[in-house]
Amino acid sequence: MTDKRAKNEIIKENSHQLRGTLVEGLLDVATGNIAEDDHQLIKFHGSYIQDDRDVRGERAKKKLEKAFSFMIRLRIPGGLMTPKQWIALDDIASTYANGTLRLTTRETFQYHGVIKSNLKRTMQAINAACLDTLAACGDVNRNVMTAANPHLSAAHKQAYDLGKAISEHLLPQTGAYHEIWLDGEKVEDKSRSAGKGEEPMYGVHYLPRKFKTVIAVPPDNDVDIFAHDLGYIAILDKGELTGWNVTIGGGMGMTHGDLNTFPRTADMLGYCKPEQAVDIAEKVLTVQRDWGNRESRARARLKYTVEDRGLDAYRAEVEKRLGYKLGKPKPFKFSGTGDPLGWRQSLDGKKGEDKPWHLTVFIENGRIKDRAGHTMRSAFREIAELGLCEFVTTSNQNVILSNVTAKFKAKIEAILKAHGVHLDVSSKLRANSMACVALPTCGLALAESERFLPELITALEDGLDKAGLRDDDIVIRMTGCPNGCSRPYLAEIGLVGRNPGLYNLYLGAAFDGSRLSKLYAQDAGKDRIIALLEPIFLAYAQQRKAGERFGDFVIRAGYVKATTAGNQFHADIKLA
Amino acid sequence: MTVTPLLPKNAPFSPEEIDLLNKVVARTTPQQRSWLAGFFAGFEAAQGSAALPAAAAKPRAPLTILYGSESGNSETLALKAKKIAQKHGLDAKVFDMADADMALLAKAKNIVVYAATWGEGDPPARAIDFYAALMSDAAPRLDGVRFAVLSLGDTAYVHFCAVGKAIDARLEALGGIRAADRIDLDLDFAKQAAVWTEGALAKLAPPEASASGTVVHVDFTGGGYEAEDDEPQFTAEAPLEAEIATLINLNGSGSARETWHVEIATDAAGFSYLPGDAIGVLPENDPELADQVLRAVGLQADGALLLKVLTGYDITTLSRAAVENYAKLTGRADVKKLLEGDAYAKFSFDRQLVDVFEAYPEKLTAEQLLSVLRPLPGRLYSVASSLKAHPGEAHLLVGAVRWASHGKKRKGVASTFFADRRKVGGSARVYVKPNRHFRLPEDGHKPIIMIGAGTGVAPYRAFIEERVELAAKGKSWLFFGERNFTNDFLYQLEWQDHLAAGALSKIDTAFSRDQPEKIYVQHRLWERRAELQSWIADGAHVYVCGDEKGMAKDVDATLVKILAEAAKGDDDAGRAKLKELTKAGRYQRDVY
Ligand code: SRM
Ligand SMILES: Cc1cc2nc3c(=O)[nH]c(=O)nc-3n(C[C@H](O)[C@H](O)[C@H](O)COP(=O)(O)OP(=O)(O)OC[C@H]3O[C@@H](n4cnc5c(N)ncnc54)[C@H](O)[C@@H]3O)c2cc1C
Ligand SMILES: Cc1cc2nc3c(=O)[nH]c(=O)nc-3n(C[C@H](O)[C@H](O)[C@H](O)COP(=O)(O)O)c2cc1C
Ligand code: SF4
Repeated sequence: MTDKRAKNEIIKENSHQLRGTLVEGLLDVATGNIAEDDHQLIKFHGSYIQDDRDVRGERAKKKLEKAFSFMIRLRIPGGLMTPKQWIALDDIASTYANGTLRLTTRETFQYHGVIKSNLKRTMQAINAACLDTLAACGDVNRNVMTAANPHLSAAHKQAYDLGKAISEHLLPQTGAYHEIWLDGEKVEDKSRSAGKGEEPMYGVHYLPRKFKTVIAVPPDNDVDIFAHDLGYIAILDKGELTGWNVTIGGGMGMTHGDLNTFPRTADMLGYCKPEQAVDIAEKVLTVQRDWGNRESRARARLKYTVEDRGLDAYRAEVEKRLGYKLGKPKPFKFSGTGDPLGWRQSLDGKKGEDKPWHLTVFIENGRIKDRAGHTMRSAFREIAELGLCEFVTTSNQNVILSNVTAKFKAKIEAILKAHGVHLDVSSKLRANSMACVALPTCGLALAESERFLPELITALEDGLDKAGLRDDDIVIRMTGCPNGCSRPYLAEIGLVGRNPGLYNLYLGAAFDGSRLSKLYAQDAGKDRIIALLEPIFLAYAQQRKAGERFGDFVIRAGYVKATTAGNQFHADIKLA
Repeated sequence: MTVTPLLPKNAPFSPEEIDLLNKVVARTTPQQRSWLAGFFAGFEAAQGSAALPAAAAKPRAPLTILYGSESGNSETLALKAKKIAQKHGLDAKVFDMADADMALLAKAKNIVVYAATWGEGDPPARAIDFYAALMSDAAPRLDGVRFAVLSLGDTAYVHFCAVGKAIDARLEALGGIRAADRIDLDLDFAKQAAVWTEGALAKLAPPEASASGTVVHVDFTGGGYEAEDDEPQFTAEAPLEAEIATLINLNGSGSARETWHVEIATDAAGFSYLPGDAIGVLPENDPELADQVLRAVGLQADGALLLKVLTGYDITTLSRAAVENYAKLTGRADVKKLLEGDAYAKFSFDRQLVDVFEAYPEKLTAEQLLSVLRPLPGRLYSVASSLKAHPGEAHLLVGAVRWASHGKKRKGVASTFFADRRKVGGSARVYVKPNRHFRLPEDGHKPIIMIGAGTGVAPYRAFIEERVELAAKGKSWLFFGERNFTNDFLYQLEWQDHLAAGALSKIDTAFSRDQPEKIYVQHRLWERRAELQSWIADGAHVYVCGDEKGMAKDVDATLVKILAEAAKGDDDAGRAKLKELTKAGRYQRDVY
């Protein structure tokens, strides 16, 4: 009978634990590309081959191949970096990449535009900074996101420690990474690589699909706990961590027109004690490894395994492998998914002014760069060189200058000011905005995102003014395709690219990230988006109940029906 | 040396007859041959045609024609001179300084030298040794030897015709007698060179030895260099007006570079070239600049004059000669001052002719202006195509030359003629400039190593296309250098296809600005030296093309080191080996 497995399964199987022909490919100087199969394998090493889509049109005429380059994604569990590390990353951006640092929606960095001949040196430079890129992409556990800022409270530190522990525990074991990038000696054991030798947990096939883990500390849901395969919610008693609620089965990605694919909010798996958390992560992952769909990658995420097998079955299997039962989920309350911008003091520990300070800086769509009059990259570098703080990346593409002693606050503000970096954002809508990368680097983009959302928000701000909503928190997120990289289906206003200049408009997600949105309009261009939203802003301003969120209002006011579960995402749609 | 007087194949007999005659002639003594010559001459006389008897056939005065050439101009003149020498009853042998030896000078009675100047007043690469020997104390005395020197150069260069001048002086210092005054010629040398050669040879020829009626002076003398008979049909004097079929800037947008792939429709009878040749282009000046120049000297950019200036005259090159002319013409003291001491060097740096006119404005008549200017010289471009692969076409790779100095934007005349002032469908005046010293090996099985940076890659595209057409199986290895991989990899897709098809065996690239440290082709050569050494041991031919200052010098030095290592010797050993390769025609350079 014919092999029904997805192509990637065979590629992984034949790759000698992710080696493929990467070494040979790096040596071929005639092309900036690598072998087709290696396109899939290099992801596990934290990199993607891409090409500059802005210039695709001219290349062949000029007798040039596509403008290939590599995107490199770092693995920084919890997103904490020392000033030294920051400086190293900043150097790499100008030496080997396109001069920008791109904060992602998952608390790490990406470089863009690294050409093949520099790929290895860049990897080595990253590792020299005591960071790596292993498993930042690929069918493995990805970078683990934890509630922003380990220095904010003891619980945040525990969340951070758990995140690091899980990230290490679920890390692939193959020697390929060291061999290929760090010139480590060959350690592949072919005799066993057919079995689970090099990868006791992942084997030769790894997971059916990517696997994402996050850890939240209420009341902040900055990590968007319900958007991920596996999640932990800190359960606190007077600030003391007593245990974790465990969630599974969240995810955003879907395919336009394929109703079998949909974003999904995670379910409650149960409650566990702190010391059980890591083992539970392994069991949840290995059940997905064994149960997950390996024939259709579009249906291979854990969320579909839960849909197909049922939550109870999944829980039972996890408990079987654990050898004990999980507790009943404990109550918790989330207030929102955004980052509180500006200065903030640690929640516990020392008293008064001595408590460390933390400055959350808004970074539009996570792109840290210098442009005339606004030299944010240089500002951060200067701060790093003075060693005034540690750096923490957030799941909202922002940066926290963390652990600042009171006497340095003024200095930091002065430096930022001198570089034209203003702490106040033009509107709360912008402060609560995220856009994915999309064009020109993303190969899957159907429309602009990072390069378009800022101007769209500027245009929407007029409407906000008319309604007097400039200072109201409304969450808006945009992506260039339905994959959902900025978690648009959990935004009160979600815009998802369908075609160049055209977006699907989603409304009605919950401000605290607990409810998905619903399709409101299809293929809307800039003007139509504005025309559709302005009246809703007005209505919201006039008719909202006290404290009513925009996402709840649009449902009460009947613009869209509430999405009660992922598999209802495509149900009762009434297009505007 | 004694030559057996076999009749040449081109003698006016059938091959069979030539064989028969040669059977007899081969065994004849000089006396017998003189008798024969006399007999036939006498016989003709008896038939009425008035001619002296064979006395005319007495041995003729020897002439040594010596040339030092890089791009072939001096060589062409030397070979022409040989033909003319016959008429003057001179027994001429032509020698390339590349493979001539001092001893030959010592033996010589009459010498004509055609010498080009390169680099910054240096002799052509292949002539360096001979030149050094001639200048050294070891050079033989030349008492009584009669000589004449023609030097080729370019007034654009400070050391105009430096080499010719030096050789002329040296021959005299060694006791030689100057039979004709030296002439120093600019790029428009053709006419004056022909006149000078006639005059010089007439002076060198012994008076009594002028050609006689019917004893045809056949050239018996082999020896020296025998020309490929490739006198091109289209020349700088008689170019082909050809249509530009394609114009593409090969550099990706975002590149600092601008390198144009130009395809020219040259489907005219007699327009043929070989890979390694260059195509000459007679450009047109930038109308804006022409306008500035004319206005600077108070002339209207009037139709007829403008056209002349645009198409016929060099209005960019600032040369001493031009300033001298301008000083004479205007009688301006301040312009004269420019020519004193190092004033000229100071002023001329990074300047062009227009700067003089604007700094020292004078009203000129059209005639006066033209008298200051030199004819617009053609520009050479290594042909980037194989005629076999692209019949009726010639492809060029033209790097746009642009810079700014003294508050002016400057443009290279020919390169921006293509880049800015011509569109597809427009025309260009072109001609073929053969280069016998940059050729694929006769034997298609011989490996070739092609080293080039930037536009220096042009001839290699032609080489590989040619080898594909000839189904030549020899290995090939390209070393290519430029600034950035992504936007400056000239002809990248074509190299990929050639690699896939096996027409190109290997490629190594050096992109200088992709990483913190600069990487150039010579660094790649050094990295790959082991394999290079074995290729060369296997008889590989090595080619270098492109910028002299920027690349060729360093490549040369690196090859010396690589060969030295292979010979387990020092740099001198390496240099000696490289010389061997050069003499064997296995190290060829096309640098500019
Ligand atoms: C950089 C980032 C967006 C950003 O603006 O920050 C990003 C960028 C890309 N994502 Fe993503 N994803 C990013 C977070 C997400 C998220 C949000 C999250 O994880 O919290 C999601 C939705 C959650 C989820 O996984 O369901 C997400 C769902 C996807 C998907 C759809 C997966 C699915 O199950 O359907 C793809 C496509 C795929 O995997 O086939 C994808 C693929 C991609 C690729 C690698 C495109 C590709 O596969 O060729 C994008 C690279 C673009 C570029 O040029 O950099 N990305 N991607 C985020 C990097 C996260 C990180 O540091 O690891
Ligand atoms: C045998 C041979 C083969 C060649 N093959 C090629 C080829 O394949 N491709 C190719 O592109 N060229 C080639 N060249 C060079 C080409 O002939 C021209 O010299 C070149 O294109 C410049 O011509 P132009 O008329 O555009 O510039 P011009 O008007 O001749 O100006 C060039 C002059 O401008 C000055 N100049 C240039 N840049 C600067 C600067 N940055 N600062 C100050 N002064 C400057 C210099 O004096 C230089 O000599 C070849 C040359 C030779 C001799
Ligand atoms: C790179 C280069 C350097 C040159 N340097 C000089 C020079 O210093 N002085 C000079 O008078 N002519 C110089 N010339 C002009 C040449 O001497 C002139 O083109 C001559 O016709 C070449 O003759 P050939 O083909 O026999 O080598 C140079 C030409 C080139 C391309
Ligand atoms: S959402 Fe789509 S377009 Fe945007 S980065 Fe992700 S894959 Fe690319």
